[in-house]
Amino acid sequence: MDLPDYYEFCCRVKIVAGHNALEKIPVLLADKGSKKPLIITDKGVVGAGLIDIVSRVLQDRLAGTLIADNVPPDSDIRIVHQLAQLYRDSGCDAIVAVGGGSVMDTAKGVNIVVSENASDLMAFSGAGALKRPLKPLIAIPTTAGTGSEVTQVAVIKDHEKHLKMAFLSYFLLPDVSVLDPRMTMTMPPFVTAMTGMDALSHAMEAYYCLQKNPLSDAHALSAVNMIYRYLPIVADNPLDPNGRLAMSVGACLAGIAFSNSMTGIVHNLGHASGSVCGVPHGQAMAILLPYGLEYNMHKCEDTIVRLLLPMAGEAVYHDTVKEQRPQKVVSLIRQLNEDLHKMTDGRHARCFGELKDREQKPTVPREALPRIARAALLDGASMYNPEDTDYDDNLMVLEAAWEGHPLDRSKVKKG
Amino acid sequence: MGLVDVVRAGRKPFKRAYVAVFLWFTGRAIQAAAKVDEQVRREFDSLPDDFTFSLGVLPDGPWMLIGKDKGRVKYLGGNPGGRRIYIRLAMKNIETAFLILSFRESTALATARNRLITEGEVPHALAMIRVMDIVEVYLLPKMIARLAIKRYPSWTPGRKVFGRIGIYTRVLLGI
Repeated sequence: MDLPDYYEFCCRVKIVAGHNALEKIPVLLADKGSKKPLIITDKGVVGAGLIDIVSRVLQDRLAGTLIADNVPPDSDIRIVHQLAQLYRDSGCDAIVAVGGGSVMDTAKGVNIVVSENASDLMAFSGAGALKRPLKPLIAIPTTAGTGSEVTQVAVIKDHEKHLKMAFLSYFLLPDVSVLDPRMTMTMPPFVTAMTGMDALSHAMEAYYCLQKNPLSDAHALSAVNMIYRYLPIVADNPLDPNGRLAMSVGACLAGIAFSNSMTGIVHNLGHASGSVCGVPHGQAMAILLPYGLEYNMHKCEDTIVRLLLPMAGEAVYHDTVKEQRPQKVVSLIRQLNEDLHKMTDGRHARCFGELKDREQKPTVPREALPRIARAALLDGASMYNPEDTDYDDNLMVLEAAWEGHPLDRSKVKKG
Repeated sequence: MGLVDVVRAGRKPFKRAYVAVFLWFTGRAIQAAAKVDEQVRREFDSLPDDFTFSLGVLPDGPWMLIGKDKGRVKYLGGNPGGRRIYIRLAMKNIETAFLILSFRESTALATARNRLITEGEVPHALAMIRVMDIVEVYLLPKMIARLAIKRYPSWTPGRKVFGRIGIYTRVLLGI
């Protein structure tokens, strides 16, 4: 057990999870005194028929519910301001966010603007700018990955100024998160695979990075156990309701863990590969996760070894030679990526070199790796990584992850 | 005792004096390192022309400020004097400051343990943390510097020796 001298942990989100959990929403809204919520979502969620499920639940009990489905794949400040205006003009009194990370971030942004009666969201960027509770926010995730339903962060982009602003406050935590397997059932296998690997990377990085603490550890280990067990099951059989529920709960546990202990090199390089080459976040996490463990192995081998038990169970743990247990964790993740690659007919990439865009062009040309390595120096996740990272370290990891070869750990600088 | 008794924080003069001297010395060392070390110079080159960084202790100091002025990096004492602070790195109290500045906890670990408040843009903060790490390697013996930073760098003996002489000389002369 690692017991830091001092740590902080906060998760005051009420979590309502289970089959038919959505049916509880009218009561949850009534508890918050809401009669006219604004539902924020995107066209993909509407197209998949998921909003119909939510509105059917609400129509029976609430007279006026507004649905705004114009959230883009990347959160956008203009949309935040538009939706805030809609909220005010329509006299709404709560927000229900139905979607993935972008929808959650947008809903949190709208909530800041309407609660603070502000004209410019950017005045509240950074940490600690919010000083009081916001309007009621109910989060209904439609992926099992981002953990945004339990995090205190929102990232909103200003596409005109090419700015990505982060908002950090305990007041951004939703009041309630509703996890209902019906909402993730329509995800195709390759989206299931990458969002699930995103959740696994949250749990694992939360467990080995510098801000870890006993409470985040407990959430992280449970998350690893559920995600590692159920991700292949739902990738293989998307309509398995129990598997879907387990993945939603696993992603939620991972979200609580990383919201309180932050992440390291995997997210650091993942953010950079996303901003330079547009690599989907979950896909970057899946590729980089084994490399993050290998890169930090010399600093936290004793911690990484404890991930084996929740992943593989007692039999495998005891049958593996003690010295080989940390490496076994890495090889199990590589095997999981391999299995997901097969289950998704090759759409789940195992290395950056395999990633292709819609026109079958390489998403990450090899010559882009130095730019990604440089961009990673501007990202705050490096701060929480156990081992230091510089440009050369980043490039070394990226090159191995591009080729799909294990990291040559003898080349990792130690000091 | 009356109905209300005001609790006043102890002044802790020894710790406050230690922190004040440390910040003064580090401020002058950063100014010197920007002239002596190529990597520190590059970090400052990437920052805005009127960039100002402040490091100090909440609620009432001491503080030290480093700023760029016509391309030169200067130690500006403890008073911002109306300058826009791009990055403010605040240690939450004097005990925290003493813990960090006596190298019982690294900057990274202190950040992870919520002992520091960072205000400003993350890339600027990261650049300044890299600068402070380099300066600590110059100022401190390896045994102590390893407690303050994540990884002790493998510099050439020339960089370490000449850099250290250059920085200590400039700190003492204030140039």
